[in-house]
Amino acid sequence: MTRRRRGVDRIEESFPPVCEVHVITIEHLSKRYRQSMAVDDVTFTAVPGRVTGFLGPNGAGKSTTLRILLGLTSATSGTATIGGRRYAELRDPLRTVGAMLDGAGAVPERRAVDHLRWIAQSNRIPRSRVDEVLGLVDLERARSQRVRTFSLGMTQRLGIAAALLGDPQVVVLDEPTNGLDPAGIRWIRTLMREFAAQGRTVLVSSHQMAEMADTVDDLVIIDRGRVLVHGTLGAVVAGHPSLEDAFFAALAAGAAR
Amino acid sequence: MSAHVAVVRSELTKIITLRSVWLTLGGVLALQVLVGAMSVSLYSDAVAAMTPDGIIEIFVGQPQDAEQAMLESLVASSLEMCIFLPVVAAVIAGQEFRGRQLRTSLLAVPARGQLVTAKLVAAGVFLLLPALLVAAVSTLFTYLAVRQWQPGLVVSEAALSAQARFVVFAVALCLVTYAVTLVTRSVVVAVMVAVVLTAVAMSQALAPTLDRWLPVSAGRNLLLDPVSTPDLTSGPTLAVAVLATWVVVLGIVAGAAFTRREAP
Repeated sequence: MTRRRRGVDRIEESFPPVCEVHVITIEHLSKRYRQSMAVDDVTFTAVPGRVTGFLGPNGAGKSTTLRILLGLTSATSGTATIGGRRYAELRDPLRTVGAMLDGAGAVPERRAVDHLRWIAQSNRIPRSRVDEVLGLVDLERARSQRVRTFSLGMTQRLGIAAALLGDPQVVVLDEPTNGLDPAGIRWIRTLMREFAAQGRTVLVSSHQMAEMADTVDDLVIIDRGRVLVHGTLGAVVAGHPSLEDAFFAALAAGAAR
Repeated sequence: MSAHVAVVRSELTKIITLRSVWLTLGGVLALQVLVGAMSVSLYSDAVAAMTPDGIIEIFVGQPQDAEQAMLESLVASSLEMCIFLPVVAAVIAGQEFRGRQLRTSLLAVPARGQLVTAKLVAAGVFLLLPALLVAAVSTLFTYLAVRQWQPGLVVSEAALSAQARFVVFAVALCLVTYAVTLVTRSVVVAVMVAVVLTAVAMSQALAPTLDRWLPVSAGRNLLLDPVSTPDLTSGPTLAVAVLATWVVVLGIVAGAAFTRREAP
């Protein structure tokens, strides 16, 4: 069944019971930059045990929403919480939430291992975990290399390593496959599926349909700051030949409103 | 380990794992060694030509008490490096604005006030090292100049007191530069501010009532001898208060700037 709320197609389908502690809840979130609304009354949830895709064209408001969720940008109105708490209220936040936004966020002249070491220290994460995540993202051999010598894919892997340092129950990834080769894309897809299977909450933004169609359980489609569709992947695609068709149909319907 | 100590520790790791910090510090020390090596013969020759009543003439036509003159040269050798030490502080602070590290820092420590406090504490602790190394180099060259006459001069109470005051000033000036870098998000602007403050203090262009409130002027007032430098604009107590106020006020401004601005 489909219910419409303020122009949002909320496709109701049986979401599984969830652990409230690690639910990402975005409620009536808005962000205004001078005359334009980057995010306009966005509401959705991402629940444990499922990969939630955040899909939209460039400039749709995906990154702004994620930045507000992670306390990097302030909201004009509304709330973005993780288990009912704002990111800034979390103690040693990397132990709860692992996030990667647009690359590694590392000083180019620093060695990869040192980049991960200071992040681990800041959240009282054991040093042994640095070696573990370097192994997990297949960067052991590059551990002593300076970040400036990394390829785009390696930088992306370092960012994912940093996100995984605290063994978080909530993982937020913004365009994680940017710069990855096909093997890397497959690896990140498998990783996200494994996380969901372990009961973690995974929220991943992308504008790549194929990546989303192969990875996510639930989907939020956003355009021009507004959520157009929110539901399970099956429900969103239902009635359309592919996710791509469903996506463009949602965009067209959104533009017509 | 408490959360605050953990954040300070991680900030220290950020500093010591940055190669440009060590390269800049190495450059400052190399410059000081070069200047010291070039002038050591000037001082040792003056000491060798000391009159029986303890008067030396480092500069022709300017006879001085030998002990006083060598203590002043010790302080001056350290003080000269305060033109360059702020660059080390600016490089340390400026790393946050390279490669979008600030975003990673705020994800790790979203409490921005806590982050800025930890950054200032860690920087203060680390910056003791450059200040102490500069003091050690000036002590070494002064020792080379006076070793035939009074080798204990460099560890006398007066010498140690002067070096301690230098360390206080150097760390304070570096923290001021550090905070300016955080506020302006620019290493270049912060170094320019330090240069302007130094130029204003050295030129003594301002009236004494204004000059005494500037950090470099306060450092000069703290370090130099009021007998041989009668144009000082305040006493040492006010100088320390001025330096502390600059550090605290700019630290608060940096915290406010961090809180108000959005991460990259």
